Amino acid sequence: MLIPRRVRHRKQHHPTRRGNAKGGTALAFGDFGIQAVEGHYVTNRQIESARIAITRHIRRGGKVWINIYPDRPLTKKPAETRMGSGKGSPEWWIANVRPGRVMFELSYPNEKVAREALTRAIHKLPMKCKIVRREAGEF
Amino acid sequence: MAELKIAAELRTEFGKGPARRIRRADRVPAVLYGHGKDPVHISLPGHDTMLALRTANALLNLDIDGGGTELAIPKHVQRDPVKGFIEHVDLLAVRRGEKVIVDVPVLVQGEAAPGALVTHEHSTLRVESEATHIPERLEVSIEGLEPGSQVQAGDVPLPAGVVLQMEPDALVVGISAAPSPEELEAELAAAEADAGIERDAPQAETAEDGDAVEGSAAGEPGDAAGQDEASGS
Repeated sequence: MLIPRRVRHRKQHHPTRRGNAKGGTALAFGDFGIQAVEGHYVTNRQIESARIAITRHIRRGGKVWINIYPDRPLTKKPAETRMGSGKGSPEWWIANVRPGRVMFELSYPNEKVAREALTRAIHKLPMKCKIVRREAGEF
Repeated sequence: MAELKIAAELRTEFGKGPARRIRRADRVPAVLYGHGKDPVHISLPGHDTMLALRTANALLNLDIDGGGTELAIPKHVQRDPVKGFIEHVDLLAVRRGEKVIVDVPVLVQGEAAPGALVTHEHSTLRVESEATHIPERLEVSIEGLEPGSQVQAGDVPLPAGVVLQMEPDALVVGISAAPSPEELEAELAAAEADAGIERDAPQAETAEDGDAVEGSAAGEPGDAAGQDEASGS
């Protein structure tokens, strides 16, 4: 699973969820991709789960790119704990995904199989997504 | 490439307010520049512009209301990141016979040898061409190519009058060997074990395994809570 090797601050504030993605909104590597339609935090487990779902479906002959990285820790206080006594301990690693971000890209020769693989991956992700396709020559 | 005639109107007011009014009227704000002249701010019809920009490097014949006619090619297109509609277009003024440097999409045709993994490293190639004769696409055949072979920018056949404007040894398509089924299965099994993903058991053992899965799944948060309680106290 994707986990940062070293971080400057072990506990961070929640990243902002406002606005749309500023970059990474178009396909850069593959022919098909999963684009976020809503903003959400995506954990490293969800990213890995989606990657495995794609790879299991396409088997060989395709390539997967992951364009997001879970570099933000989220903390959680233990259950049945009174408020105070400092911030909770890091519980998840998340990528802050904003609407428009292309999270996964896939290169595969058969469009039907590629779309099915990406649909399976979308089911592992916490937000509404859509499949985008590289149009030859479209600006 | 055929010229696409588009009627344009000059813009007289600028800023986000007027730009949004233009977009609400199903038009697209645009700017036309080139040849050292002052930029001309125009607006284009939304639907026609969207259709025209489906073609890479479309040659537009702009009929500007009160500004004559201009030939232009799109330089940069801003789109809404979610909806995909066009927010603004930068147009580069060109003349007939003038050479321009543009990115032309590469279309890969054919199928590589069985067991090969095809990777497109460059989806476009930068070429110099006459503004009125920009190729719509460049075609590359990978029919029967074996793993380990490459198609470089210099190998791509170019139409007459088109000159490559990038390193000829830049990799366009790489053919590598696909991982074997055993390697793939081992990699996926390791990844699933790392992520704690449990696969469904065969139908015959459903009842017993169902309990086991529920037990283990419920155990994780319980263990975590136990640790937290211990640390909290």
